[in-house]
Amino acid sequence: MRKSDITTRLAVTGVGIICSIGRNQSEVWRSIVESRAGIGKLSKFPGENFPTDVAAEVGDLDELVPIDSREAKRMSRSDLLAVIAANEAIAQADNGATTALSRDRAIVSTGTSTGGLLEGESFFFDRLVRGRSRVASSRVLQQPTSGPSDAVARALNLGGGVLSNATACASAGAAIGMAGDLLRSHHADVAIAGGSDALCRLTYSGFNVLQAVDDNPCAPFSATRKGITLGEGAAYLVIERWDDALARGATILAELCGYGATCDAHHPTAPHEDGRGAQAAMRGALAEAVDGLHVDYINAHGTGTLLNDSAETKAILAAVGDDVPVSSSKSYFGHTLGAAGGIEAVVSVLALQHQLAPPTLRLDTPADDCTLDYIPHTPRPMMMTNVLSNTFGFGGSNVSLLFRSAS
Amino acid sequence: MSRVAVTGVGIVSPGAIGIDSFRALLDAGTSAIAPIERFDTDGLAAHNAGLVIDFKARDYIPPMKLRRMNTLSRYAVAATRLALDDAGIALPNEAGVALGTAFGPVQTSVDYMQEYVAKGAALAPPQLFAESVANAPGSHIAIELDLRGFNVTVTQRESSLLAAAMFASGQIVKGTVPSAIIGGVEEVNEMVFSVLDRLGALAHADGELTEAMRPFDVRRNGMSIGEGSAIFIAEGEPSREPYGWIAGFGIARDTTATISDWGTGGAQVATAMQAAIDDAGISISEIDAIYASANGTKRGDLLEIRAIQRLFGDDVPPVVATKAYFGEYAAGGGLQFAAALLAMRDQKLHSSFGFEEGKPEMLTPVREARPAKLRNILVNSISAGGGVVCAVISKERA
Repeated sequence: MRKSDITTRLAVTGVGIICSIGRNQSEVWRSIVESRAGIGKLSKFPGENFPTDVAAEVGDLDELVPIDSREAKRMSRSDLLAVIAANEAIAQADNGATTALSRDRAIVSTGTSTGGLLEGESFFFDRLVRGRSRVASSRVLQQPTSGPSDAVARALNLGGGVLSNATACASAGAAIGMAGDLLRSHHADVAIAGGSDALCRLTYSGFNVLQAVDDNPCAPFSATRKGITLGEGAAYLVIERWDDALARGATILAELCGYGATCDAHHPTAPHEDGRGAQAAMRGALAEAVDGLHVDYINAHGTGTLLNDSAETKAILAAVGDDVPVSSSKSYFGHTLGAAGGIEAVVSVLALQHQLAPPTLRLDTPADDCTLDYIPHTPRPMMMTNVLSNTFGFGGSNVSLLFRSAS
Repeated sequence: MSRVAVTGVGIVSPGAIGIDSFRALLDAGTSAIAPIERFDTDGLAAHNAGLVIDFKARDYIPPMKLRRMNTLSRYAVAATRLALDDAGIALPNEAGVALGTAFGPVQTSVDYMQEYVAKGAALAPPQLFAESVANAPGSHIAIELDLRGFNVTVTQRESSLLAAAMFASGQIVKGTVPSAIIGGVEEVNEMVFSVLDRLGALAHADGELTEAMRPFDVRRNGMSIGEGSAIFIAEGEPSREPYGWIAGFGIARDTTATISDWGTGGAQVATAMQAAIDDAGISISEIDAIYASANGTKRGDLLEIRAIQRLFGDDVPPVVATKAYFGEYAAGGGLQFAAALLAMRDQKLHSSFGFEEGKPEMLTPVREARPAKLRNILVNSISAGGGVVCAVISKERA
């Protein structure tokens, strides 16, 4: 079995993103620069009796989908979000290159927590009313969590393989790390890696019954924080071996140096209070940077829950130290669950490209247990070479990705 | 090149609990697929599945913990206990966990939504929500055994187990962890069963033809589905004589596949098989048997046959179809892998239950169990939607 050789450099040559603050990387970055959040009153699921009504929603997708409408109708909302973001990423990876990506050897690796659950819920409700024999089963073809990877591969004609990662909110981070290893072991030549998740009733209800949702827009690391804001979206990176990217004349946006993946082995939903798994994930990512480094910025998991923000702060202090600026971009677009690792990886790459660290919005007063520099309110221009992107999830799964400036 | 040893296997299967019982099921040459009593199949074309019947979760999990686990988590934790007993070791804290599941917690989501409808969106049980994530079984394994390495759950339809095994084996070879739990888990439920039935994917009675899964048979008309969990203890340095060595993987996607069906090309399936053989550092002629993905679907089986013939030409090694013993998706694909490991350990090919009649231009699988000298076995998983993952397991470390 060929080994994933961590001395093999990985290049990010394309990114694509759609979330509540923008439908592509340009719109997303403009919102970040202008400190403009995409959080408002929940408009989906009218009539449901949720205890909170705040969400980071993406609007109608019809005009954004780059595929035939008949094919699009067979896809879930998570699938469509994925196809939109992946298409943008691939277009950027091919733009200006002397040779196009090898689609035959391109693998799709997607993290998703809900997949087509939104459509599955509608199917479930219709069955309750009309009986199972009267509801078309074709409506749930797209329900499995393999849906977004399959949809991207099918829509964009990619033949390298499909992988789907359903590791709760760490899904997309794990999917990106997994893809990096498959490139380094030459099981694939190109990876379209990221995540996608659409808002659905089950998760909106579920986080509410866990009392993990803030009734105001989330305020990560703040003294007033009460929980998450649920969001939706998708994002993908195109990743190639560095030398392959150079050989085909692609523009390299950033380097994916490595990742760390760990488990708290502590509780089904709560993080370990000292963030022991998160510490180990960050250390694991740093260990893959073979020539040593200084971390310049951390794009935190930063959900806005009491437990996460406290544990993550302790983990950063232990693994990286107290002199690294940290922020939560979830304050812009909420917690996008299985997609979060992809969306925040793209934000981290954009931050490196623009040498501008996104802030933590609505951070008026940091909590006593949140003692780091969280870049409040407005973006901060700064020299950044190395950036960590954290994503953690239910089950105590933790993934930390390490990106380095292309220059 | 490096290989990963499988030193323990835990099985919670239709018709078998534990590896010895599973071996007996295969050796008996009978199927554990039977009429469903768990839910109503009236009005459906199919009525049979491979269900776990004689399983007592409390034999493996304390009552207080049982209450926090759904069926998938119970299967997976129990199978893990059985695998560790089989290996006779305890895993170090650094070990990782990688599970595969095709449909995951669909039943838990249905249960949650029923409570949602009955009690309202604000009053559904939080415990059900916590178990509605696909990685809950992997999380419980980690908590039970204090395993702090990677913990991921892969959901890639029929390829879920092999995809999880590819990741975990790669991490051991890379040196990230010394050992890992690799496994698969699945639950048969009314929602998945009825949807697959309505889509025409399930084996069903048709005139004189009785309902049965018939891999590679000319009369095949669909799959039967199964459940359970298979857990494999994977070690870089084996603590005992292994069942076999995980030697290589290949991954590809058939670009002719549709959203719900298998493709027709065969080229990419052959590419994945070849890639696994290359990754194992061996030649095609060193493959002594193929444990096929065959699930009794018309197009899926035909695709696999064409791909095998394309790659192996006139020298096709013995092909074994195992899924009619326990069903497609059983243990997330883990039971097929367990059967291949047993074949390697016992140096014995299993009979292809369900196959009776082929065609000259098709492929005749092994019909009677027989001793065989097995150095390398190719294991295929071909998914509806086009995903393909293949693996090679070997008798020797190098």
